Amino acid sequence: MPRKIPWWAGGILMSLLFFFTFSEWGAGRPIGASTGMAYLSEVLFGLDADAHEYTALIETSGAWEGVMLIGVFFGGLFMSLFVTKTFHISTIPTLWKTRKNSSVPSRMVWSFIAGFLLVYGARLAGGCNAGHILSGGSQTAVSGMIFTVVALGTGMITGRFFYKRKKSCA
Amino acid sequence: MIERITHMFDVVAAQGHGSVWTVLFIGFCFGAVILWSRLDKFEKMAGFMIFEDTLAPRMAMMTVALSGVGFYALVQGGVAEYQVKPTLLGGLLVGAVLFGMGLVILGKCPSAFFVSVSEGRVDALVGVIGGMVGGAVFTLTFPWIKQLMGPDLGTIRLSDVLGGYELTIVLLLSLILFVVALLIPTVDYHDPADENQKR
Repeated sequence: MPRKIPWWAGGILMSLLFFFTFSEWGAGRPIGASTGMAYLSEVLFGLDADAHEYTALIETSGAWEGVMLIGVFFGGLFMSLFVTKTFHISTIPTLWKTRKNSSVPSRMVWSFIAGFLLVYGARLAGGCNAGHILSGGSQTAVSGMIFTVVALGTGMITGRFFYKRKKSCA
Repeated sequence: MIERITHMFDVVAAQGHGSVWTVLFIGFCFGAVILWSRLDKFEKMAGFMIFEDTLAPRMAMMTVALSGVGFYALVQGGVAEYQVKPTLLGGLLVGAVLFGMGLVILGKCPSAFFVSVSEGRVDALVGVIGGMVGGAVFTLTFPWIKQLMGPDLGTIRLSDVLGGYELTIVLLLSLILFVVALLIPTVDYHDPADENQKR
């Protein structure tokens, strides 16, 4: 099997999976991930539904996505071990090294902050890129379109200031 | 905690959105496609927003273009229903801003970071931990935050705003995304770390 598939093949496979999930033959619902993330954190920190309004609110959709995310982890693990053979312990992405710095503590602190912003922001917006951009866009949802434009616009502006290109001093 | 995890599986088994095995299978395929296309990589997701790679937008546009038409057909065929998220304007705008900042700094989204962890990336694991804390803080602050999330414009689709023309909108949107995905030039960030892994 090839170690990497091109963008169009990725898009075709992804949409086939979306058809299956969306139809009643699969799950009869669109794919989302961030509700599951919030749900898993409630399981981890013991935030129970009888004491916390939000836990009660996402009881069914959160559990569904929580179980799906467990599958996501093993899907990735299977491919990285047997197909792409890219499994290796690493700390700093290459592009981060060239555009930001080579400090492990810096990457870790920013990763934590960014992870926090991602999930907090996604819950505030009621979905992440899976729920809003892919599933929302496919259903021509207005919420998905607003999210796409604002999130990607902010990302591009943030990226411009956050990753200043280092001057090459060859 | 084991009790809560068992409860999670019980809730899924009881809700009629596929069996537990189906849901795990969907997740497995989702993770596999993300990793196989290398979309989990920082260079692909953050790289797209700093214009060094074009995999993420092309793949996303292709997915939405095909899914848009496919979903319409499934709904017309009576084997699926649209489930549109509500437009809570305040929460949507502020949340999208925070999400966009997190996305470009971490370089993964809330499903891709699990995939990245499964590839042995420690920074992604730290991102997941940050996300766990983010989710818990949101749950704890929700009673105050929810007042700031409105106004609620309801579950609206483009056809509701434009007063009909559903099929035309779906076809047009899909066609535009499809053509744009084909026209964007391929910019592929070359990662030397990938070369070292080819044995």
